[in-house]
Amino acid sequence: MNTWSLTEAAEAVANRQVTAVDLLQSCLAAIDSHEAAINATIWIDREGAMQAAEAADRAVASEAPLGPLHGVPLAHKDMYYQAGKVSTCGSGIRGGWVADRTATVLDRLHQAGSITFAGLNMAEFAQNPTGHNSHHGDCHNPWNLPFITGGSSSGSGAAVAARFAFGALGSDTGGSIRLPASACGVTGLKPTQTRVSRAGVMPLSFSADNVGPLVRTARDCARVMSVIAGHDPADPTSAQEPVQDYEAGLSGDLRGVRIGLVSNPGLAGVDDAIVAAISAAADVLRQRGAVVVPVELPDMDAVAAYGGIISRCEGAAIHARWMRERPGDYAVHLSGRLYPGYAIPATYYIEALSARGPLLRSFCGTVFGGLDAIMLPTIPTVLPTLEATSMEIGQPGAEERFMAVSINTRPFNYLGLPAISIPCGFDPAGLPIGLQLVARPFAEARLLTLADAYQRDTRWHEALPPL
Amino acid sequence: MPNLEQPVAAGQADPFLAEIQAYVATWHGIIVPNDPARRLAADLASTIKAFEAQRARLRFEDEPSSFEAALRDMKEGA
Repeated sequence: MNTWSLTEAAEAVANRQVTAVDLLQSCLAAIDSHEAAINATIWIDREGAMQAAEAADRAVASEAPLGPLHGVPLAHKDMYYQAGKVSTCGSGIRGGWVADRTATVLDRLHQAGSITFAGLNMAEFAQNPTGHNSHHGDCHNPWNLPFITGGSSSGSGAAVAARFAFGALGSDTGGSIRLPASACGVTGLKPTQTRVSRAGVMPLSFSADNVGPLVRTARDCARVMSVIAGHDPADPTSAQEPVQDYEAGLSGDLRGVRIGLVSNPGLAGVDDAIVAAISAAADVLRQRGAVVVPVELPDMDAVAAYGGIISRCEGAAIHARWMRERPGDYAVHLSGRLYPGYAIPATYYIEALSARGPLLRSFCGTVFGGLDAIMLPTIPTVLPTLEATSMEIGQPGAEERFMAVSINTRPFNYLGLPAISIPCGFDPAGLPIGLQLVARPFAEARLLTLADAYQRDTRWHEALPPL
Repeated sequence: MPNLEQPVAAGQADPFLAEIQAYVATWHGIIVPNDPARRLAADLASTIKAFEAQRARLRFEDEPSSFEAALRDMKEGA
């Protein structure tokens, strides 16, 4: 059963093919076998999860109404607060910090019947794109252990890939859902900015933070999004837009859909294996009826300039007290990256915020005037190793390789657009390659339909790491 | 502007970096924590250059909540 997707597992519980206890035991068995090598978890609540699974099975036996995730074990990036429980945020500073409230998204997932049984490894305070963590140990890629998992939701990507959990929440401020989804060979969705509540979730950058799922399939994504999306009074910034039935739209039909294949130098892919995988993915989408044409994205210099200002200023402001009082408790790379944010003038920050709306309008008008979506690699290069990107040990060029990982994902955080990463091949080192699809605001259903159609004709998302 | 080709190490005289360090200490009470911080602070010169390159491209947006309005206005079928 550990080859099942989240939706297959939920259906199996509902149909009494399997119990919630069985599902949980399969996850715990995978963890017991491979956690020592991968280091994807920070805490595991075996006893509490088993009690919840037994209660879920009693509900099935009593023929009580079941939620869409009933009995499914999930584990989440350790920055989703649960009242009365420690949430480390991947840090040493919050190593013993106990939350006084529960994140709205966890409440919604629990109401839908899922069981949260573990907190997952992550970059310290969600602040790196590789998966390095000097407090809880680096997370290792299940496909090839010396390589990065992508970050910051490193444990979420690795845990879903290694079948430690049927799904996980990550967060995405510059690519932190899509990067580990790509690097670990799973499916990850960054929703439209404001689509999902952030109440009870550790902030990194208020303007660019997003909550979303890492799971095995586009259908799994649709299932989770139908549960977590929608306005939340506890998060006044969450959108009032109605939530679609994302699963209902998964028709496999792409006839007439127009997709732009990004041609900007660098963004289109740097390494041959990446370019070839994206080209092959375009062919699959064409065979499904889509029209794929080249497109050059406008304003990327402006988006990079402004986007970097916002996240650095907001991150610096959030961490100012600890940077004053206990800077030595951060990883070297993190305090190093936070520091310049304190020197950026407020006028730059305000100008960067002010440009966001006009640039989004311009981008959508130019790109989506004649296209329904765009496609490009999630990561434009083959994956580097943990060692090559470690800023702690001062490898030459590590800072450049470190930041190059997220060059294709950051623009869509500034623009606030929804984006999904799905597996589309493997590089010469046996590591997954991710295809990123991006669409208009609130077009998550469009992205899920595209991704689901692609996954009907490919098997990349079903591959298992050679553990 | 600093010379970005040269590594910036603790104690090295770099007027731009010295200015940054003084500013951050004065306004935030934060002391530069390590060499990566010095290197990345020195690299603010390229941040300024990239930002200034956008000058005159866009006028300052003077309407409130323009980003959230743009998200709504730019959705499919809007």
